[in-house]
Amino acid sequence: MAIKRKINVYDFYDRAKTGKKMTELEWDSVVIPETAAALKQKYNIVMDKKVMIPEDPELINNLFKAGIDMLEQCGIYCTDTGRVIKYTREEILAGIEAAPYRVVIGEDTDAIVMTPRSFDDPKPPYIQGGPTGAPCSEEQFVAIHQSYAQEGLVDCIVNGVYQKINGKDPTPNSPYEIAAVRAECIGIRSATMRAGRPGMGL
Amino acid sequence: MRPCDSHETSQLNELKIDINALTCIAHYINSGNVIMVEQMPIYGGYAGGLEETTIVDVATTINSFVMAHGSWHLDGPIHIRWGITTAREALAVAGHAARAIDSNTHLMLGNQYYTLAGPCTEMCLLETAAQAITDTASGREIVSGVASAKGVRTNFHTGLEARMMAEACHAVAGMELSKVNDVLDRLVALYEKDYKTAPKGKPFDECYDTTAIVPTDEYLEVYDKACATLAGLGLDYFKK
Repeated sequence: MAIKRKINVYDFYDRAKTGKKMTELEWDSVVIPETAAALKQKYNIVMDKKVMIPEDPELINNLFKAGIDMLEQCGIYCTDTGRVIKYTREEILAGIEAAPYRVVIGEDTDAIVMTPRSFDDPKPPYIQGGPTGAPCSEEQFVAIHQSYAQEGLVDCIVNGVYQKINGKDPTPNSPYEIAAVRAECIGIRSATMRAGRPGMGL
Repeated sequence: MRPCDSHETSQLNELKIDINALTCIAHYINSGNVIMVEQMPIYGGYAGGLEETTIVDVATTINSFVMAHGSWHLDGPIHIRWGITTAREALAVAGHAARAIDSNTHLMLGNQYYTLAGPCTEMCLLETAAQAITDTASGREIVSGVASAKGVRTNFHTGLEARMMAEACHAVAGMELSKVNDVLDRLVALYEKDYKTAPKGKPFDECYDTTAIVPTDEYLEVYDKACATLAGLGLDYFKK
């Protein structure tokens, strides 16, 4: 049956309040491993870890089918409400169809336009350079990020985090967390400007 | 942050979410922001082994677009024992999941990098190259890193690791897949035997002149040695 409209985050939130109740332990230790194991068997999926990227079309397509089945059969568990959010297969497919084909990251002459590429595309992936959430000292934060921004093949920045802010731990859900995140943004902007690439995306 | 910056939200392991993430997504949507949805499935974790973790990775990736309105998904299959994304099993999960999604959808995929060895070591650069090769030849659109030394040591990360990530992508883009798999198998074998003695490397201020912001000669020599190793594996790009 056709869907009424594409599911959105508000539908998802509503379902998080009304879905089936379940303990997180049951989800982690029963639902996830048993469903994944059953789908592995259903599609006869066997991987060889000496082959990092599959070449067999049947294996490739069966992995995709198993992933769709996994999402449809399990849904998503909401840890705050202890409920399971379910989708229909049609909603999953509509979500895929609605995903963007083009994303602009950054601005002005430093912007990149990311579009889909295939496994054999001679065009390489875009390069997002940075410490990827690893801790940096306040003293070296800008210099570290400049070292990435000035690399000619780096297209945009993925930042590290302040280990301390004004000597204090940026504890999650505390005022210091906000102070640290704001300082990180200013630090990264300073680094990209010093590298001569002020429009670089983060 | 500007709307054109990637605004991150994270799913939880495995196939879980919390209300805070949904609230962030609502804010991002209403602000017209680029949305990057992250999740790092654990090889050897709740899902189980190679095949099970890959199935969960495919499901999780798709969910980033269905639930979270993602512009792109940031993956990062991680090995439960070593806490890295560059282990053979983690690369196999990432390579298979990306290839499965690449062949069946237009979804845009990224991957993030956590190496065992730290900066100024050949092992760190070879780990980085292995993942970049896997990501490029499995159809990913963007690579993100590098959190060297597992991303846990303060200041143990530099721009030179990102240069290797980029150059390895350029080296194999468009290469025949059977050749890529052969190179990968031999490349991972070079470093996977050294996990228990992986060098922690050096912090940023010992890898770079922190005034001029340029790598030290010592680190450039290590970089050149890694390039020579990769050239020896058949990657002509590095014969320069």
